[in-house]
Amino acid sequence: MDAHDYVVQCHGLERTYHDDGVPVHALAGVDFEVEKGDFVSLAGPSGSGKSTLLNCIGGLDRATAGTVTVGGVDLASLSSAELAELRLRRVGFVFQSYNLIPVLSARENVEFIMQLQGVHADQRRRDALAMLDSLGIGELADRRPGELSGGQQQRVAVARAIVSKPVLLLADEPSANLDSHTTAELLQLLADINRERGMTIITATHDPAVMAFARRRIGLQDGRIVSDLRDEGAGG
Amino acid sequence: MRTSVPVKVLAQLSCRNLWRHRRRNAMLLGAIVIAVAFVLLANSLLRGWQAQMLDTVVANLTGHVKVLAPGYRDDPSIQRSFLLPADYQPELPGVDGWASRVRVPGVILSERDTRGVQLVGVDPAQELEISFLADVAVEGDFLESPTDRRVLIGAALADQLETAVGRRIVLMTQGSDGRNREAGYRVAGTYRASSSSLEKVFVFTGREVLQDLLGSPAVTELSIKLVENGQRSVARDILQRQFAAQEASTWDELEPMAASMFRFVDTAMLIWFSIMMAALAFGLVNTLVTAVMERTRELGMLRAIGMQPGVVLIQVVMECLMIVSLGVLLGIGCGVLAVRSLSEGIDLSQWTAGIESYYMGSLLIPVLLPYDILRVLGLSLLFGLLASVFPAWRAVRVEPLDAMRR
Repeated sequence: MDAHDYVVQCHGLERTYHDDGVPVHALAGVDFEVEKGDFVSLAGPSGSGKSTLLNCIGGLDRATAGTVTVGGVDLASLSSAELAELRLRRVGFVFQSYNLIPVLSARENVEFIMQLQGVHADQRRRDALAMLDSLGIGELADRRPGELSGGQQQRVAVARAIVSKPVLLLADEPSANLDSHTTAELLQLLADINRERGMTIITATHDPAVMAFARRRIGLQDGRIVSDLRDEGAGG
Repeated sequence: MRTSVPVKVLAQLSCRNLWRHRRRNAMLLGAIVIAVAFVLLANSLLRGWQAQMLDTVVANLTGHVKVLAPGYRDDPSIQRSFLLPADYQPELPGVDGWASRVRVPGVILSERDTRGVQLVGVDPAQELEISFLADVAVEGDFLESPTDRRVLIGAALADQLETAVGRRIVLMTQGSDGRNREAGYRVAGTYRASSSSLEKVFVFTGREVLQDLLGSPAVTELSIKLVENGQRSVARDILQRQFAAQEASTWDELEPMAASMFRFVDTAMLIWFSIMMAALAFGLVNTLVTAVMERTRELGMLRAIGMQPGVVLIQVVMECLMIVSLGVLLGIGCGVLAVRSLSEGIDLSQWTAGIESYYMGSLLIPVLLPYDILRVLGLSLLFGLLASVFPAWRAVRVEPLDAMRR
C-alpha cells in the first residue's frame, strides 16, 4: 500500500512521563498505520497508553521519540500554533465529557469551528443546521448544553467534530458517560459517518460495545501493541 | 491557510461569559463605576481649585503678563519705573483687559495706629476690567478716576487702624528723589475682598495722585489680562520686544509658589487616579484570574479543537476590556452627574482663613474639562488592558491536555 493511502503513520512512537522524577513509559515503541476510511479502536485497560496514543496522533501531546504523521505531515516538525491549525482543519475531536462551550447553543457550538476557520456566516449556519439535522437533533439547535441530555450533548460534539469535514475523527472514550442505549445510537452514528462520508475514525476505548463497531481493533498493553485484528463485517 | 480571528464570536463569547457570572461581574462593574466617578469628581474639584488659583493670582494685581522695570522685583520703588505714553494701548492679540499702576511700599497712619502697606495708584476703570477690585464689596465710595485724591482701603486694615469711611489718614513713602514724602487723604471707602490679607496690604488711590506724591510721571507696572492663559508666553515675548528696556514676565514667573502649586495639582490628579486605578486593577486581575481558572477546562478544549493561543489571549483581553469599558462609561456618566450636582460650588467659608494661602476662595466650584474626561477614559482603558495581561497570559499557558484532565 502507498504511503499516501495512510491517514496516520506511527513509527517507533514513545512517550515517557515523569511522575515525581520516576519515568513512566506510556508508549514504549508503537508502530502502526491507519488507512483512509478505516474505523479503528484502540483498546486496552487503564494505563495501557491508548489515550496517550490518541493524543499524540491528534497533536495534543508530543512524542518523546519516534514519528507521527497525519495526512503525510510529520507532527514533530510543527510548532504549537501549526499543530492548532492542523487540529482545526484536519482533525475532529470527540471527548469523553463532550466539552461543549456552555454559553453557546448547540448550533453555535457546531458553528464555532467554522467561525475559527473563517467560513462565511450564511454557509456556517446552513452547514451547522444540516449537520444537526442529519444527526437527528435539528430541533435542539437553539438549546444550550445544559438543556441537553448526555447523549444529545455527545451528538452535538460529534456534529462539531465532523462539520468541517476533517480527514480524521478522534474519539476518546466517547461512550464513557452514556447509557447502553445512547451508546448504541452513538456508535451507529459513528459507523454511518465512517461508511457514508468515508471519514477515518480512531477511538480509544475499553468499552467492548465500541470495539465491536470498529473494523480494526488494536490492543494495547503497557504502551505496546499486543494485538491488531481486523473484522470487515463490523460497523453495525 | 491561517486561522482568522473571529472577532464577532469572541465578542459574543465574552458577553455570555460575563453574563454567566453576572453577580460577580456586577460587583466588579460597580467598583469600576464608583472608582471612575470618584476620580472624575476629585479631578473636577482639583481642577476647580486650579482655576481658582489662576483667577486669584491673575486678579491679585498680577495679570497673566506684567511689564516691570529691571530690578523692581527685588527693590520695588519709584526709582525702578518706566514712562508709559498717555494714549498707550497694548498691541498684542487676545487682551481681555489691562492696567498701568504705580505701586510702592509705604506706611499708612491713622490717629490710632500705623501699618506698612503697598500703596497702589490706579485708574479705577482699568482695575474693574482685570483685578480683584471688580469683585469686592465696598462700603462708602469706590475711586472715581486716576485723579481721585481719596483712598480706598481694606476693611481689615480699617479695623487695624481704627479708622472709617470719611476719616483722614496719612500716606508716607519715599519719593523719586529718595526723600520721604507724605500727604493726607480722606478714606473714600473700605473694601471687603475674598482674603483678609489683601485687605490689609493694598491701599488704593488715583494713579496720578500717587505720581504727584512720588514726584514722578512714571508707572511701575503694566499688567495685562489675557483671554487665554495658554497665550501668556507669546504675549510676554511680544511685550518684551515692545518694552526692550524693561522686563516682561508671565504670572508663573512672578508667582513661583502659585505656579508650583498649579503644577502640583496636575501631578496630584495623576497620583490620585493611579492609586484608584491600581487598587481597581488588583480587583480586576483577581476576578479575571478566577474566571480563567474556572474555565481552564473550557479553554483547554478550545485549544484542543484548534483555537490559536493568540485568539485565546484576545478573548480574555476582550472580556476584560468589555467590563472595563462599560464601567468607565457608566462611571464617567455618574461622575458628570456628581459634578453637575455640585455646580453651585462647595461652601468652604468656615475654613477661609486656612485655605486662602492656597489661593483658594470660600466657594469651590468643580470644573470638568473634556480633556480630563478623555484622560480618565484613556487611562482607565489602558489600566484595564494592563490588568488583563496577566490573566490572559495564564489562559494562553493552558495546555489543552492538562486542562481537559481537570
